[in-house]
Amino acid sequence: MATRGFRRALGDLLGGLLPLSVRDLRRELDDRIRKIPTRLNEFGYDPWGLCPATVRETVLPALALYKYYFRVETHDIERVPPGRALLIANHAGQLPFDAAMIALAMLLEAEPPRLVRGMAEYWVSELPWVSVYAARAGAASGTPDTCREMLEAGECVLVFPEGVRGMNKLYKERYELQRFGTGFMRLALEAQTPIVPVAVIGSEEQNPGFANFERLGRLLGMPAFPITATFPLLGPLGILPMPVKYHVYFGEPLHFQGSPTDDDAIIDEKVETVKTAIEKLFERGLRERHGVFSG
Amino acid sequence: MEKVLITGISGGQGRLLARRLLDSFEVCGVDRVAWEGRPKNVAVHQVDLRKRKFEDVFRTEQPTAVVHMGMVRHFRVSEQVRHDVNVRGTKQLLDHCVHYGIQKLVMISSSYVYGAAADNPFYMDEDSPLGATRSYPEMRDLVEVDTLTSAFIWKYPHIRTAVLRPVNVLGYYVHSMIGEYLRQRRVPTVMGFDPMMQFIHEEDVSEAIALTLQHGLQGVFNVVGPGAVPVSVAIREAGSTAWPMPEPLMRPLIDRLFRWGMVPYPAGAMDYIKYPVTLSGKRFVDATGFRPLFGLEEIFHSVRR
Repeated sequence: MATRGFRRALGDLLGGLLPLSVRDLRRELDDRIRKIPTRLNEFGYDPWGLCPATVRETVLPALALYKYYFRVETHDIERVPPGRALLIANHAGQLPFDAAMIALAMLLEAEPPRLVRGMAEYWVSELPWVSVYAARAGAASGTPDTCREMLEAGECVLVFPEGVRGMNKLYKERYELQRFGTGFMRLALEAQTPIVPVAVIGSEEQNPGFANFERLGRLLGMPAFPITATFPLLGPLGILPMPVKYHVYFGEPLHFQGSPTDDDAIIDEKVETVKTAIEKLFERGLRERHGVFSG
Repeated sequence: MEKVLITGISGGQGRLLARRLLDSFEVCGVDRVAWEGRPKNVAVHQVDLRKRKFEDVFRTEQPTAVVHMGMVRHFRVSEQVRHDVNVRGTKQLLDHCVHYGIQKLVMISSSYVYGAAADNPFYMDEDSPLGATRSYPEMRDLVEVDTLTSAFIWKYPHIRTAVLRPVNVLGYYVHSMIGEYLRQRRVPTVMGFDPMMQFIHEEDVSEAIALTLQHGLQGVFNVVGPGAVPVSVAIREAGSTAWPMPEPLMRPLIDRLFRWGMVPYPAGAMDYIKYPVTLSGKRFVDATGFRPLFGLEEIFHSVRR
């Protein structure tokens, strides 16, 4: 007990020494987290292991990236409907900063603030620490059953149907959507969920890849082995993104009707509609911005 | 009045169940050990499930319902004995149920049969595959008992058979592996992992079994308590201290210590504190209207050191 009290006092002291802007960020964050409509148990966890208190403790660096590094600007975020929704976005930039920035946008700028749920790759849950933090921040192993349950519970789920195909796309393929998986559409039909197309402008230039040696990556146990201007030249530092300007565009929610067990051909048509919507947002975003960094 | 025969009646859960059922049923039981201080109207026969004398109990007591929870769930006996008691004992019991006109059978399995794996979906239903033996071969007898009884449901549809798979059971009386684990002064955990874990109070398990009998349920049912918390929270709330150990060190260590009899569980059990096994209890709730009475705080309080 005594140590806990001491730790809190120390925390307060350090908090007092922090620069003003950080303290403001923290206050803003607390304010937003308080407004999130989530169902937590008496220990502060939701059924899938999300814990706003942990998010609060650890999100500051990401928040600094959001405000001062990527200087994220959101457009039409009020289009995200209340209750269940699937956010379908483009994926790029070698590391999933786009996921973190969309999640922060929904936390900071949506009304009421929402904690976006992510569908993580299976192998994420095998990584020590990463698996725990991913769960506390709202991600879960991306099985269709879990996603359906989250939607039925009224959660807002973020999916990148491009997967690693998008994340490791080459610079010359920027703003070209790679093949989409169809799983998200079947889930949307099954759980009667509106789909919100989301376009992230900026992420596609944050870490230009010139080649991708997939086989070598697999040999090293990584999903890809990209060659960028700085990686592997600068070692681990080389994976850091450039300070591009982020714009996140939200499209009108799309409602689809049909059977979740339809043939791929029929599902693909619907998926194509979503891709087109994202491409439209790309067009708008690229037209409206002035420069990759100044935006 | 219906008469219920409880196997494993002298164990913590057996005693609780016997007392819970006394209002509405006649109760008798079998166990290998005696139950000192049992209620006067409860007859306890000290027999081995595999022996002839067990069949005699069916003949003399003439029960109409059976609750089967008399299984060896710890590893203090050899694998052969465990297999023999659990699998062959259950097979005998099922045969007796057929021959002596039993109308209701409730078998107490557990959530552990699903196994803990990185790719487990959250809140699995009863149709999920039983994956425990994938990385935890010592569980094979308990998985087989579950499968055996589930098959029995289809073979003898006139007997109302229910297989219950409760999540981690905690309480003052019950002896569960998870209870023992949480009550240690220093609780070893896998460094960097902290899966969600569901708990249910022993009294609520008794209540669930009583409801199963009352409704004459048939089928396989997950029985889920009030909610889930990360295992680290469970350890903290039980008044213990988590002791994170790097996995590459922990697995061989536990493996050795288990073989020397210094640790009560094999290394395969580690998966349950590394990956989640969470169940959906919807089917049981829909069938019985079951609502757990004990909340998470009370559950952890009941095992507080």
